[in-house]
Amino acid sequence: MIDYKVDLTNCDREPIHIPGKVQSHGFLVAFDSTDVVSYVSENVLQYLNVKAQDVLGKTVAEFEPLLQHAETPGFINHILQLGHHSKGSETINHYTIDLREKSFNMIFSKSGKHALLEFEPNTSANDVDLQKTIGRSVSEMLSGKQLNELLDNAALQIKSLIGYDRIMIYKFLDGGHGEVIAEVKEDHLEPFLGLHYPASDIPKQARELYKVNLTRIITDVNTDASPILTLGTNGEAEPLDLTHSELRAVSPIHIQYLKNMGVASSFSISLLYKDELWGLIACHNYTPRFINFKAREASKLIGQIISSALEYKQDEENVVKSLNYNVAYDSLSLILRNGGNVAYAISGHDTTLLDITDATGAAVIYEDKVTMLGKTPGKEQIEELVNWLIDHMEDRIFYTHQLPEIYQPAQAYSELASGVMVCTLSKEMGEFLIWFKPEQIATINWAGNPDKPVEVDNNGLANLSPRTSFEVWSQTVKNTSARWNREEISNVLRLREEVVYAINRQANEIRTLNEKLKQAYEELDTFSFTISHDLRTPLSTIKNYSELLLESNTSLDEDARRILKKVIGGADKLNYLIKEVLNYSRVGRTEVIYTEIPMESLIHELKNDLTVAFNTHDLQFEVDNTPAVYGDKTMVSQVFANVINNAIKYSSKSNPPKVKIDGRETNSEVIYTISDNGVGIDLNYYDRIFDLFKRMDNVRKYEGTGVGLAIVKRIIEKHNARIWVESELGVGTVFYIAFKRNM
Amino acid sequence: MAAPDIFYIEDNEDFIDVVERAISQIDNKTIMQTIDDGALALTTLNSLAENRVKPRLILIDLNLPGLSGLDLLKRIKENQALRYVPTVMFSTSDNPKDIKTSLEFGANAYVTKPMGYNNLIKCLSAVHEFWLNTTCLAS
Repeated sequence: MIDYKVDLTNCDREPIHIPGKVQSHGFLVAFDSTDVVSYVSENVLQYLNVKAQDVLGKTVAEFEPLLQHAETPGFINHILQLGHHSKGSETINHYTIDLREKSFNMIFSKSGKHALLEFEPNTSANDVDLQKTIGRSVSEMLSGKQLNELLDNAALQIKSLIGYDRIMIYKFLDGGHGEVIAEVKEDHLEPFLGLHYPASDIPKQARELYKVNLTRIITDVNTDASPILTLGTNGEAEPLDLTHSELRAVSPIHIQYLKNMGVASSFSISLLYKDELWGLIACHNYTPRFINFKAREASKLIGQIISSALEYKQDEENVVKSLNYNVAYDSLSLILRNGGNVAYAISGHDTTLLDITDATGAAVIYEDKVTMLGKTPGKEQIEELVNWLIDHMEDRIFYTHQLPEIYQPAQAYSELASGVMVCTLSKEMGEFLIWFKPEQIATINWAGNPDKPVEVDNNGLANLSPRTSFEVWSQTVKNTSARWNREEISNVLRLREEVVYAINRQANEIRTLNEKLKQAYEELDTFSFTISHDLRTPLSTIKNYSELLLESNTSLDEDARRILKKVIGGADKLNYLIKEVLNYSRVGRTEVIYTEIPMESLIHELKNDLTVAFNTHDLQFEVDNTPAVYGDKTMVSQVFANVINNAIKYSSKSNPPKVKIDGRETNSEVIYTISDNGVGIDLNYYDRIFDLFKRMDNVRKYEGTGVGLAIVKRIIEKHNARIWVESELGVGTVFYIAFKRNM
Repeated sequence: MAAPDIFYIEDNEDFIDVVERAISQIDNKTIMQTIDDGALALTTLNSLAENRVKPRLILIDLNLPGLSGLDLLKRIKENQALRYVPTVMFSTSDNPKDIKTSLEFGANAYVTKPMGYNNLIKCLSAVHEFWLNTTCLAS
């Protein structure tokens, strides 16, 4: 025998499909292309009472009589000829023949240029009406609506069909390890349901073979395999490929593995999903057990039916999910295209960004706001996560099913968000969309310690064997969510495109509007400036000639003089109004030149000018503190002129009129109060008093244009200052003006 | 060719009329010449200067066809023969920017056109009194 170098990765290296041995419950004969016996298993002696050496080199015609069969002479040759010309072996298999008065099943297969004939006993013990049984089994199995029901039924039907002690359905998970997801067993046996097996238990090349041989029987782990003998050419024996052999002997390591588990015989049926090994129906028996080729073929058929049902059910589930994703995506896309706030568009309606993935929570971080949906960490935790993402995210998408493993603070909320998927909207502005998946598996029960799949015997490496302990070894898997699948990722990327597009479109719209507004504003200013200027010239003419007429024409009677005076009065009013509008538009056109303004002198001058203008002798004008204001001197002067002017004007009928000015400094502002005991402002008009041309009902009898406070407001805005008012009708008004301090 | 006392550049004929009436009311001996175009005003002034005669006061409106009031002012102040003739800007605008620029360009004063004939009389009386009766001219 070849001396294998055995180490921990032995299972992955051993050339299983060419072991050079067959299981001893049957024997093998191989013919080469000239129909001469090229290989034969040594145990042919037990079955045919002829030594292997004597069989090798015989022609088919010479070999056939050794079988002592009851068939038509030449039938072996007939089968070989059939085999030469057919692609597979399904149409040929199988033949039940009697050899030396015992019933055998003869199974044909190909191995390169060789044709294999394998003979195994035909046991009639469970030779039931397979067609009927399978028919019933399949309809029982497929009655399950859910995948897990289907699999439970399948295990049950297999058990009744072939009668092993334990039937397990084993599913391969990520990374090659597997889990028992369905089980039917004899009552006295320990349940294996839910146990996980490490990937090394079924090595990669074994998994490949399961895709080729859909069933595999190991009859008795305790009998020695029978070597296959061949005549060497030039002293070299060409190994025989046993990939398609039914009798192929089992790797010693796998035998040991089964022995360690206490299993004497095993049978497995492959389950394929889209041509990949999805799982196995693994059948264990604790005493040696052999089942007929026919029963194995029936099991294979059931396996194939389950496989196609798997595809169907899995596809169905995927299709439904995929359909729901798409409906959600289309709906979000439509809402986004309708405009409006982007964050609200994807989080504020019936369909939200949650619906395009399997996530249970989501957050939209947009325009400095965090919108949370479903089960998410707290706002502060999300903000911290965002900061971390800003520093660590390199691509426009990032996802993990183990966030707490790479980002420590997430351990605090691992149950809500072990999985995250993040896409950037704008990394610079810290704008993201985040989806959360909860922690999923709390415990994995391994059948034995998965980190020690193989144990080394005391005798050294040569006796290295699989682990002997299959005691449940619980591993608590924390900080892990379900994985993000490809569809979820692509949905997130698609949605991201839509959202970014919507944001850009809105940004452009706003930019365009802004430009237009700016332009309109400038046009308005130019317009009001020009029109006021141009209006003044003809107005001046009206007034000039009216006065000239009044001055120089002595023949006018009293009535004509009165009329002319009215014309002049109207012109004056119009002129004043134009001047105010001009002032208002000038504020918009003038740059603020900041200086430190000494307020005491400014207020003093204003007081003098205004008291002269109003000619109110009994006015009580009080000035308290006058801290300096930082601003444009002309404009600030205009502000105070207007507000003080109003204070004096609207209190002029009080007895006596009182106006008080006081200033104080806070940490960031200089706040002036200008209070009077005048007519007051109706509460309902507080927010309208600063509108252009707006005058309150209670001040009709006072002169005014409705421009003054509009100018004030404009100047205040230009200074980033604040103005507000408190007032009571008939009691008085207090204006507050707060300028930013010069920092 | 004799020079007027006041050389007034203004394009609004109504206002010219009113100013002429006002000046003759203030002092009917004062001779005033009005030109309604900036460029024409400059050539007229230049030809006066060639004849070694100069007005005693130049009044300029800001908005003028041909050559703007400010440009005209600039040319006058750049001209050796004319630069010492008192030049007063006379405009409706009270825009600080206009006032500042005018003074920078060398205007001797900036007077905002008053509203109404009565105010105009007051204003022009003062101008007349100061520039024609009070100050001394460079020869």
